[in-house]
Amino acid sequence: MSRETAAQIERAASLWLMRIDREGRTPELVAELDAWLAGDRRRHGAWLQAESAWLLLDRLGQQETEIPETEAQIEQLPVPFSRRRLMIGGGAAIVASLAGGLFLLNRPETYATAIGEIRRVPLADGSTAAINTGSRVRVAFAAARRTVRLDRGEAWFQVARDPARPFLVEAGRVRVMAVGTAFSVRRRDGGADIMVTEGVVEAWADGAEGNRIRLAAGRRAFVADNAAIVAAPEAPSEVDRALAWRAGRIDLDGESLADAAAEFNRYNARRIVISDPALADERFHGIFRTDDPEGFAMAVRSSLEARVTLTVTEIRIGRSPL
Amino acid sequence: MIEDEGRRRIVAWVAQCVMPHEGKVRAWLARSRMSKEDIDDVIQEAYCRLSALDGFAAVDRPDAYFFSIARNLLASQMRRAKIVEIEAVAELEALSPFDDAPSPERAASARVELDRIRELVAALPERCRRIFELRKIEGLPQREIAARLGVSESVVENEGARGVRLILAALRSQEEAGVAAIERGAAAQGRPL
Repeated sequence: MSRETAAQIERAASLWLMRIDREGRTPELVAELDAWLAGDRRRHGAWLQAESAWLLLDRLGQQETEIPETEAQIEQLPVPFSRRRLMIGGGAAIVASLAGGLFLLNRPETYATAIGEIRRVPLADGSTAAINTGSRVRVAFAAARRTVRLDRGEAWFQVARDPARPFLVEAGRVRVMAVGTAFSVRRRDGGADIMVTEGVVEAWADGAEGNRIRLAAGRRAFVADNAAIVAAPEAPSEVDRALAWRAGRIDLDGESLADAAAEFNRYNARRIVISDPALADERFHGIFRTDDPEGFAMAVRSSLEARVTLTVTEIRIGRSPL
Repeated sequence: MIEDEGRRRIVAWVAQCVMPHEGKVRAWLARSRMSKEDIDDVIQEAYCRLSALDGFAAVDRPDAYFFSIARNLLASQMRRAKIVEIEAVAELEALSPFDDAPSPERAASARVELDRIRELVAALPERCRRIFELRKIEGLPQREIAARLGVSESVVENEGARGVRLILAALRSQEEAGVAAIERGAAAQGRPL
């Protein structure tokens, strides 16, 4: 067998990259990759180049205002670093004993969900984000602060405790800060809804830092872009209900049909239309799957004696003719 | 997709501080009269050394550092191959185009780099470009990209891989223009070329 050329190795490395991107780093796949790497020293080099190119491409998703000055950070690094050990050719078992917080890449990661999609993503600091339908979240962690930008939609955060690095969510002008807690932020026209499931958060509108609200577990509030704050009385069950989406559920407890339809329409391309205005104010109770608007329509039909018309793009709910 | 934090740092450092200089290093090594294939091998081996690095923070000039690794690898290969005069090897070892002059890339702002990446991607074949945009800007997984483009997942995989290779190739050729500047610098210092 003739010696593998550098071009062949590069080709194999680029295919590995896409495969791992598609399937994730499962132990089986990592073992297979390590076995491949072990076959030739040059493969380690080609793999490093492929991963670096992939990382460069991440920049495409960045906003210009948040480009990190990585070069500057590298120059400021205290030296020497503690030694890292890497077994060349013997699998990429890396023992990184780097002092924490010395060098934190400030590269934002973007997570976007499609309509109907709900994603749970682990964040680099040990926090978790659950991202609701049709949302976009950008995560930019730096040494002194963990910043998450909610561009649209809704997300719930279970924040890993780290008093030295506050966790700040920016939703338009609205700011929500936590140290170690769990809460959700949902962007609305003119502001954002905040709901707290654990601990305490502080929320305010950018430019009105003096007018803050402290919200404990079970509380919710709407913070407007104009800094007005509307807090609801403590109601943990309300908060849990409003966050039922984390389990793929919509929990209705006396919402109007209009509100319920709007809620389903967040998750589905097939829209619910309430064609009779009188029906829109009817109240409704029940727990449904976010992806089952038809099930909801059928329940409305039987309990309110409404008429339901199904088409490919719509579910119309109206009054049955007497 | 890079899970290990230490590995992520190395990859980020290579992407930011080393890869932009690869074309320049290659062009310099090409003077050795070694074949392009031999130089390809040397470059891959040099990256292999970087992936084994113990903390790159101590590396003051990543471009010069990478060059010296590649040069030493090439020199030992030349000695083994015995195809060149020993003086030629000595000459190669004695020279470094990176000793003194501050690297212009070092001062390049993140803004400029972002523009550069965008240009590289814009120059890709249509399908490669779409795949990267959907993956990196929209954040779609490959499965959804395949559905969006109306192609199979293996097409996304192959075209994405091809796109990565094209990016690597473009990074290389882009920097070869920088060699002329090095030559001018070396000439100004009275060094032989």
